[in-house]
Parts: sequence; structure tokens; C-alpha cells
Amino acid sequence: MTRTPTVLALILLIGIAATPARGQVLDTHTPDGDPDLNGIWQAMGSAHWDLEAHAARPGPFEELGALGAIPAGLSVVDGGTIPYQPWAAEKRAENLANWVKLDPAVKCFMPGIPRATYMPFPFQIVQTPKAILFAYEFGSNSRVVRLDRPGSEALAPSWMGYGLGRWEGETLVVDVTAQVPDTWFDSSGNFHSEELEVEERYTRVGPDLMHYEATIEDPRVFTRPWTISMMLYRRVELNAQILEFKCVPFAEGAVYGHLRRGAATSEETEKESGSGN
Amino acid sequence: MANHRNSGCGPYRACWIAFALALALAGAPVAAEDTVPETSWGAPDLRGTWDFRSITPFERPKEFGDKAFLSAEEVAAWEERTRKARAARAERDPVQGQGDVDGGYNAFWLDRGERMTGTMRTSLVVDPPNGRVPPLTEDAKRRSAERLARWGKVPAGPEDRNPLERCIMGFNSGPPMNPGAYNNFAEIFQTPWYVAILNEMVNDHRIIPLDGREHAPESIRLWKGDSRGRWEGDTLVVTTKHFTDHTNFRGSGPNMVLVERFTRKSGDALLYEYTITDPDSFERPWSVAVEMQKTSEPLLEYACHEGNRAMTLMLSGARTREKQGQAADDWLASWYGGARAAKAAEERLAAEEAKESDSEK
Repeated sequence: MTRTPTVLALILLIGIAATPARGQVLDTHTPDGDPDLNGIWQAMGSAHWDLEAHAARPGPFEELGALGAIPAGLSVVDGGTIPYQPWAAEKRAENLANWVKLDPAVKCFMPGIPRATYMPFPFQIVQTPKAILFAYEFGSNSRVVRLDRPGSEALAPSWMGYGLGRWEGETLVVDVTAQVPDTWFDSSGNFHSEELEVEERYTRVGPDLMHYEATIEDPRVFTRPWTISMMLYRRVELNAQILEFKCVPFAEGAVYGHLRRGAATSEETEKESGSGN
Repeated sequence: MANHRNSGCGPYRACWIAFALALALAGAPVAAEDTVPETSWGAPDLRGTWDFRSITPFERPKEFGDKAFLSAEEVAAWEERTRKARAARAERDPVQGQGDVDGGYNAFWLDRGERMTGTMRTSLVVDPPNGRVPPLTEDAKRRSAERLARWGKVPAGPEDRNPLERCIMGFNSGPPMNPGAYNNFAEIFQTPWYVAILNEMVNDHRIIPLDGREHAPESIRLWKGDSRGRWEGDTLVVTTKHFTDHTNFRGSGPNMVLVERFTRKSGDALLYEYTITDPDSFERPWSVAVEMQKTSEPLLEYACHEGNRAMTLMLSGARTREKQGQAADDWLASWYGGARAAKAAEERLAAEEAKESDSEK
């Protein structure tokens, strides 16, 4: 817990250092007077592979060589590790052992919140006083954070959740509820149930920097709430734009490959290997 | 060009002033008689959720002949006729064999609205004057026949089905957006530098820079094309190009240039017009007009790919039939006319090939 104040102090320092003179602070507000989060943002690092500290490891496909290997990363989890209940720690280990088959993002399914934030793709915030669009390049996924209906509830569960936002000073706080249980937090099998509730906090700390924090609560899976935090960086290239990564065509082999004409069914594969003995 | 990134355009004020000047120079605002809602920076306010349901026929039905506009009574009569036809459909037994399985949504699924669009026209197509899409070029006919032939066959894999069934694209989110069977809602987000359109159909977003930047290189082909916007007076004009080979709006091809015009009207209306220019595919450019209505209906997540049981069932059905030695193509559901249309398309292709080989001789 002592980490947070240190991190915040550091962020403030970075913020001050990166803020040019001549009252740039005021310029971070939209014409409507809200703190301005507009822009194309992207996380760096390897949290999308594993939220917890991890050494580099080989990837699942040898043909890809060094490019297919998984880079090392420090933990983005406050306190270092995710507080799983014992049964859930076992399930997480099973998930990790079979991640290529089980990871929903492999199938081009929507990553959910918070994972969508730190997928290795940019996303764009387009902000209005009542509704903020988060347009993610991965999968061309989208979600809208609503500021004009506090206290309302989702009509139905969804992959990207029901996001209700509010301003706390310069910070956008988003309460995300009603996410389906099918998403993961990363490619290392970290998971949740339908009881998941996420509180996200987006704070501009410099012209091109935004601090991101997400507190994860799921009493069915974890022993207590836990928090991840990381920096988001603005894509400052003059021609930066969200392009398409419509991944359905890239994932159809993973999802439907066993149903292609000529594909060996698992039954047939077993039979063949059986008859070979 | 204005440097739109933070530290350049960051002086929000400077951009804003340039923007206001541009508007003023363009001879922009303000119709005196009725007030168009404006943003705090003085642009017509396009923000909010828009309902583009409509029962106006896309092309002018023969019964209207040369008539481009309807009277209020004629509109009411058309709407009444539609309600009656739907009531009759609702009474139908939902399970009547293949015909109903084949795109056989019952009334529960459909959400086309009950109103003709506010233009009071006999068709959504406003140009050519006959209210009909111009004839396809020979090349577009060939492409269309190839598509039908592929989609009408038992699929070897998901790639043999159309982009809608694969959940890559929506059938009404375009671009251009066009009233369809359901999910006829779009939410518009607007800042001085961007307009973004989120379609309920397939949750698809389109982000349109307004800062005058050039299009991305032509080598980057996009399913939804590459959009750039600018204000012409009170109208947002969006030009979209660089579509993929798979893009197909009523027979269009990858070189389609789409120009959409969004004009906020007083009250709750947004006039949405678009023009398609694609000499590879159509004998002349053509245009459509739809009036959208502001709505407080919530936009919902449409997780098409995540819930695509239909693809799994089609493919597993196909493999099962093949295992049973029943490889005929005549059972498969298709919104594109099914096996008969596919067969006709194949015959057409074969005839063309024969003709070509004749001429080579």
C-alpha cells in the first residue's frame, strides 16, 4: 500500500516536469470545460501478456522464433501478485497451461475492461460532456462511458461492460459492471467471474501522458480487491490514426478450423494415431 | 495544417479561433427562421443517438411511376399498409420449413420502424431522378455473380460465407449507413477536431478527422474505408475511400468514393445524404437521402462474432452432410437468393467464359 503515494508523487513530478510553461494546465480542458482526455493513447510494456512479474519465455509457435517469444515484464499489480482464492489459483494455473486454446483474445473476442486498455494497440478517446467514446483498434471494438445517468443499471451483461463515469477533480472515474465472465485480464490465464466490478481512473499527468488505474473486485474469485496501474502514452505522430484490426478473419482458423472441409476431427486424429500403434 | 496533437493544437483556444474563423469564412451559420442546436464552440451539434429506421423503399416502387414525392395522405396510407402486412406476417406459423429458416426472422427480430423517412419521397434513392440505382457495369455484374456463386455453395470454411455472416461487417452500418432489418441506431460523438460514429450494428466505430489531413496511403485498404471530414457551412461533409476488395454496397467495388453529408435540422432531425461514385461498378453516380431522428433509446452492445453460433452450425452441418454422402448445395440458407441464384450466377459466369474463349478463337 505504501507504493501508491510514491507512484503518485512520481507522477506529479513527471507531470510538472513535462508541463510546458505558459499555463498549459488550463488547456487540458475541453471547450465544454471538462478535463480533456481526447487523443489516441496506448500502453507500453507487456501487461497484456501477464499482469504479474514474468521472465521472458518462449512463445507457442517455434516457427516465429524470437519474434514469437513473450517479453519479460514487471508486475503492474499493487503489491505484486493477484490475491486468488485457492480454487481460483488452481484454475488460473490450468488456464495458463492451455492458454492458446482458452484465451478469448486469441479468438478475437472483445477483451473486456480493463484488458482492452493495455492490449498492444492504440485506442482513441472522443469526449463529449454526456458520453465518452473509447474506440479500440483491436477488433475495432468500442465502448461508451456514460456521464449522464448515474445510478442506472445495465439492461444486459456485455463483453465491454456497463461503464458509468464521473469526474473527481481532474480524474475520470468509471465504474464498470455487468461484464460477461468470458473475458480474461491477460494471456496468462488471469480470470474473473460475472461478479467482477472494476473502478477505472484516468488522470492526465502531462501533455502526452495519462495515468491509468483499475481496481478489481470479484468476491467469488479473489480474497480482496486489487489494483493495477500503468501509464498510457499519447500517440503524437501528426498522422496518427486508429486503423482497422478487424481480427475475425485472422481468428477464424482458431475458432472454426476444426470445421473446415478436410480438417481432421479429434475423433479421427485419435483413431489414426490408435491404428498406427 | 493545424498541428492537432496536444502541444500544437494544445492551445485549444488557437485551434478554436481558427475553426471559428473557418466557419465564418465558409459563410456558415445561422438560419434565422429555425434554430439549429450548436455545440459550445459554435458548430452544428450532431451529438447524440440517431435512429435511422425507415420503411421508405430503397428504390422507387413501380406503382409510383414518375412520382418523386408523396402527399401526407399518401405517406399515411403507405404506413398503414405496412402495418397491416406486418400483422399478417406475425400471424404466420414461424416454422414452415426451409423458407422460414432461410433469413426467416419473425416480427420479434425485426425493427424497421413504422414511419417513412421525413423527406416524403417515394424512395431513399433521390438521384437518378427515377429513384433507382443505376445499372451495374459488366465488371460489377461479374463480381456479383462470383460472390453469389461462392455464397450459394456449401462452405468449405468460414471464408466462403459473406462478411455479414462472418460478423466482420454489419448489414446496415456501412458506410454508408442504410436502414435495414434491425440495429438501425448510430451514436455520434463530436469535438472541434473529430467526429466519431458508433453503429450499434457490430459495435463498429468510424473516426473522422476534421483537421484537413490527407487520406492514409491507398495501399492501406480498410473494410470501412478511410474517412475525412470538413464543414461546408452547416453541413458536415465526409469523404471515404480505399475500401477493400470485399466491400460491397449494392454492387460497389474497392474504388468506390463515398461522400456523406450530415445536416442538423431544427428539432430532432438530422438529414443524412450520400453520393456513391464508382465508375468501375455503376454507370453513373447515385445519391440517397434519409432523415434520422434523435432518440433517447440506449445503444446496446451487439457481440456478433462472440455469439456467432450460426457459423459453427452451418459448418458442422455441412461436414455432417458430406460425411453422409449428401454434398448437394441446395440446403443452405442464404440471404442472397440461395442455391437457385447461385446456380444462375454460375451459368452466367460459364457463359461469359465460353464467349471469351470463342472470341479468342
